[in-house]
Amino acid sequence: MQMTREIYWNVGHAVVLPMYLLVLAAFTIMVWGFWARLAVWRQGKPLDRFDRKGLRFKRMLAEVFGQSRVVRVTDGGLPHALFFWGFMTLFAGTLLVMLQADFMAPVMDMNILSGSFYLGFSLVLDLAGLVAILMLGGLFIRRFFFRPQGLEIETGDYWIHALLFITLISGFLIEGARIAATELTQFPELARFSPVGLFVAGIMAEISPDSLAFLHKSLWWLHFALVLGFIAALPYSKLKHILLISANAFFAPLEEKGALATIDLEDEEAEQFGAARVTDLSWKDIFDTDACIGCKRCQDVCPAYNTDKPLSPMQLVKQIGEVAATDSEAELVGMIGADAIWACTTCGACQDICPANNEHVNKVIELRRNLTLMEGSFPGDEVRTAVGNMEVNGNPFGMAFASRGDWAEGFELARLDDGDEADILYFAGCYASFDKRNQDVARNFIQICNAAGIKVGILGKAEKCCGEPARKLGNEYLYQMLAMENIETLKATGVTKIVTTCPHCFNTLSRDYRDLGLDIETEHYSTYINSLLQDSRLKLNPGETQHCTYHDSCYLGRYKDILSEPRAVLNAAGWKIVEMDKSAYDSFCCSAGGGRILAEEKLGSKINEARVEQAAETGAGILVSNCPFCLTMFEDGIKTGGCEDTLRVRDLAEVIVERIGG
Amino acid sequence: MKVLLVCEYREGKLLDTSYELVAFADTLGAEKVAVLVGDEAAVPQLDAPVYLADVALCGEYNPAVHKAAVLAAVEKEQPDYIVFSHSSYGWDLAPRVAVALKVGQVTEVVGIVDGDFEVGCCNAKMRRKVKPTTARAVLTLQAGAFAAVAPQAAPRVERLEVAIDGQGLTFVGYEAAEVKVVDLTKAEVIVTAGRGVGKKDNISLIADLAKAMGGELGASRPVVDAEWVEHSHQVGTTGQSVSPKLYVACGVSGAIQHLAGMKKSDFVVAINKDKDAPIGEMADVLVVADVLQFVPVLTAQLQG
Amino acid sequence: MKILVCIKQVPDMESRFKPAADGLWFDETDLAWRMNEYDEYAVEQAVQLKEQLGKEPELTVLSIGSDRVVEAIKKALAMGADRATHIQDAAAQQKDPWQIASIITAYAKDKDFDLIFTGMQSQDRGSAQVGVLVAELLGIASATTVVDFSFADGVVSVKRELEGGIKGLVSLQTPALVTCQLGLNVPRYPTLPNIMKAKKKEIEAIAVDSLLSEQAIAPTAQVYAPVRKGGGIVLEGDVGDMVQNLLGILKEKTAVVV
Repeated sequence: MQMTREIYWNVGHAVVLPMYLLVLAAFTIMVWGFWARLAVWRQGKPLDRFDRKGLRFKRMLAEVFGQSRVVRVTDGGLPHALFFWGFMTLFAGTLLVMLQADFMAPVMDMNILSGSFYLGFSLVLDLAGLVAILMLGGLFIRRFFFRPQGLEIETGDYWIHALLFITLISGFLIEGARIAATELTQFPELARFSPVGLFVAGIMAEISPDSLAFLHKSLWWLHFALVLGFIAALPYSKLKHILLISANAFFAPLEEKGALATIDLEDEEAEQFGAARVTDLSWKDIFDTDACIGCKRCQDVCPAYNTDKPLSPMQLVKQIGEVAATDSEAELVGMIGADAIWACTTCGACQDICPANNEHVNKVIELRRNLTLMEGSFPGDEVRTAVGNMEVNGNPFGMAFASRGDWAEGFELARLDDGDEADILYFAGCYASFDKRNQDVARNFIQICNAAGIKVGILGKAEKCCGEPARKLGNEYLYQMLAMENIETLKATGVTKIVTTCPHCFNTLSRDYRDLGLDIETEHYSTYINSLLQDSRLKLNPGETQHCTYHDSCYLGRYKDILSEPRAVLNAAGWKIVEMDKSAYDSFCCSAGGGRILAEEKLGSKINEARVEQAAETGAGILVSNCPFCLTMFEDGIKTGGCEDTLRVRDLAEVIVERIGG
Repeated sequence: MKVLLVCEYREGKLLDTSYELVAFADTLGAEKVAVLVGDEAAVPQLDAPVYLADVALCGEYNPAVHKAAVLAAVEKEQPDYIVFSHSSYGWDLAPRVAVALKVGQVTEVVGIVDGDFEVGCCNAKMRRKVKPTTARAVLTLQAGAFAAVAPQAAPRVERLEVAIDGQGLTFVGYEAAEVKVVDLTKAEVIVTAGRGVGKKDNISLIADLAKAMGGELGASRPVVDAEWVEHSHQVGTTGQSVSPKLYVACGVSGAIQHLAGMKKSDFVVAINKDKDAPIGEMADVLVVADVLQFVPVLTAQLQG
Repeated sequence: MKILVCIKQVPDMESRFKPAADGLWFDETDLAWRMNEYDEYAVEQAVQLKEQLGKEPELTVLSIGSDRVVEAIKKALAMGADRATHIQDAAAQQKDPWQIASIITAYAKDKDFDLIFTGMQSQDRGSAQVGVLVAELLGIASATTVVDFSFADGVVSVKRELEGGIKGLVSLQTPALVTCQLGLNVPRYPTLPNIMKAKKKEIEAIAVDSLLSEQAIAPTAQVYAPVRKGGGIVLEGDVGDMVQNLLGILKEKTAVVV
């Protein structure tokens, strides 16, 4: 006997035409739904996310079929991925059946669903269906009985769970009925390759053939109706995420992480800067709001949300979506609230963990640009003062610009503002220039370079704030003013390599300044020191092993993917790292990003205290950081959070300089 | 040399700063004569002629009329210098008198150096000597620059009659000072508590010192964050930026945000166990001591 | 209605000052420049008045100085002034308040300004004279140290800040001049569209010679750095001795602890 099965058994080939017509109708309803949505998305401003299509398509396939962003969080993510793979296999199987029954057989008189391939096909599909049902059940229990905090339940969730569950179950019942009526007695060897179907058939074995036929036919139509419902409901329910998140994997930015649109300040036609209304955002920003599935992962990792500030990245996205769908003329700040907009530290954790490739941070920046550039508002008076200081003296403290290079007194340094030459230019940044603690870090870095025989130059008073805090606060004008001055100064030195100790300067110089014409290679000192070690230019004497924990600053780790180099440097110096729960890409912000370094943290609890506590819990006793903002915040957090007896914070340069030798 | 002292009167009282004008005249060794828009009961007690214009007629603030009174006295006495306190009254009236006489004015004199008037400039970072070229000159004196003398003998009061014409300006009255949260920006003395004070209970030691010095209590950010002192006392970029004449930092290590908020202080005393604390760089006097030991002794001394 | 705001560009007070070679002013190298803080309040109040009156008044900003003062002028234009006059004078720092007031008066005398706003004083020279001198020379009413301002029906009502937190309530008939004290308002941060508009606004340039006929009557004889008061004295040792030492220093160096 041929190892195959009769397609359209019991329902007959007469169903083909009405079946396809109904499918067509369902598809029409679906397309119409998305089409209607198009108008909402198109309210946004143009943005080219159709360039480099091959690259985008490849990424989309990898992310969708690999479920790579979904499994980033295993709780919920892993069952989802397994369900997806199961369901996808069933879908592929159904397509194959369709191909066979309505194309291969009638047109080419072939049967690909036969022989050992059919055996494998049956087995795989049965197991896929089983996995899908089990995972769906698990997800159902998770959502409705052990609901994780912050996960919202909508009425639609019940319907979707029911739809999927009944669809899957009815599939097995149909199979069971068919097997009970046919293979169970006629071809049991074949039935063994449908273990779940066989199990169901076993239960149905006592039912009379007529009843089985009737049951089978009824279930077939039910199953078909549910599939039609699934297709038609796609754009009108959460199911839309299947298509929209897939699309977002295509639309996600290909630019370097953290890239912001550089506003053309010469554009005399421009009347609006930043986003006051939803129409000032890009179409992708609005599209994101539909792609959001509400998994609340962004909210779970948001430092602002976790310290009781009025910001949830998920709510922000949803609120924008609500405005886009209802009243595109409404002021976004009214819906979202200025406090929420200012609370963001731009740490990027939300964006990094979002399975839908939503871009939260850029939305916040656009909202801030409106507040700053159009309304001249600030998160607080202290920020107003700091910004004024940056305008006048090129640093947020209001220290005399002429004293910027004073920290380096007593060091043999090339003064690149005076025409000296050097191997590298050390762009010190404001904190290393003026803050006593960070001045030590700067001096330590110079010592490390000197030990490696590197001649270091600085800009001294010619250096200005890189503009990063201003830019992240939305003040693109001030940022560009500072950037242009720095770029001119940097270019005039003729150096070929810039090193920073500040990840914020590093991001700004190495990425943001490119838009404004800087093309000098820029590196963070953690990778620079690592390469000095690799090249054996720098020799360390590891000595006795000591324990520390290491904080990945957001702008080094998440934004620049620099995770292993600083760890390698620490290891080379004899430090053993006791990792925090939240490390590497999951690192928790110190509170100072997004220009918050200039602002007082008035709402909720303190982010820096939360982080310091996490560091103290490792028991390592020493927290090593790589960023002047982090160092400052942790010093504060240790004092105010009462960790003085259990934790000390040190900079990477400080712990390395002690081990120079060998 | 003759100096006309323009004394100041508010709400029925002669202001004490009037006696700083006397001290200034004594420094110059000049002959004194005074003018006051006030009343008989509040004339300055000094052994000199005092021209008195009746405040009931002239009003307490009426620059055109007060100017006329001063000019009338100038007319009678022909002084070399016409001296005001550098106060809301003095800096308002002095230029009006100067321009009427077309004489040079030197504002906020802090001292006399080699016969020239010394004034501060650029937030006291620089000093400037000013030399009026006119036969007589108008001066305003920085508050406290010349220590007030004690009231002396009863004056020889001479009444001035002045035409009452406000010339478009009407003084409506006074508004009492609000009972407000601490405004450190205008405090002359600030005594700040930092984390070095150890615990909330010790804040009272610092508050007592502030009181003994006639100043306000300030606090660093960690102290405010720990809720030892309320936020209205916070000095620093996230609190208030201050510019007192004297700033006493007790157990403040000197985070950059704090230094940025107090660097405009004229004179800084830091009391800290750590000789190398950043605050030391800002300090005119660094007292290397435990705040808890040092402050109570200082307070006791000040209280006499 | 016509409004004039007089502003000055001054060095940032955190700059490092040193006397110029001639000893008559400070050296301008290594200085950062900004609009005199008091004048920012003046500009803001004038712009608020303009907004209150429905944009009808014409708001002119005036500054005297070298080419660099155009930066301060641009800021005032970006804050909302309609037009500007730059009285070009590369040696403005050598003019005494009487001369500066004479220049402004010569400019303003036939222009019928209804209201003139100035800062209460400049941060660098701190003479607190120019505003009042201009008013007196123009023969209009003036009030100094204003911390609250309102305008209705040709009458200006202000609160003057007196010592000890007391305020003096004064009303003035226009034309009038007020000098603005810190805290009068919150000077706005110019919006980007306004910064861009400001770039196109007219800045009339007038040579100072055409307006000045007066000699200085209170010239600067010398500018010099003060002897550093504490000189970074470090006290160590016995608490009692240190207290006595400190009190001695405070008595000598400060006017506040007697």
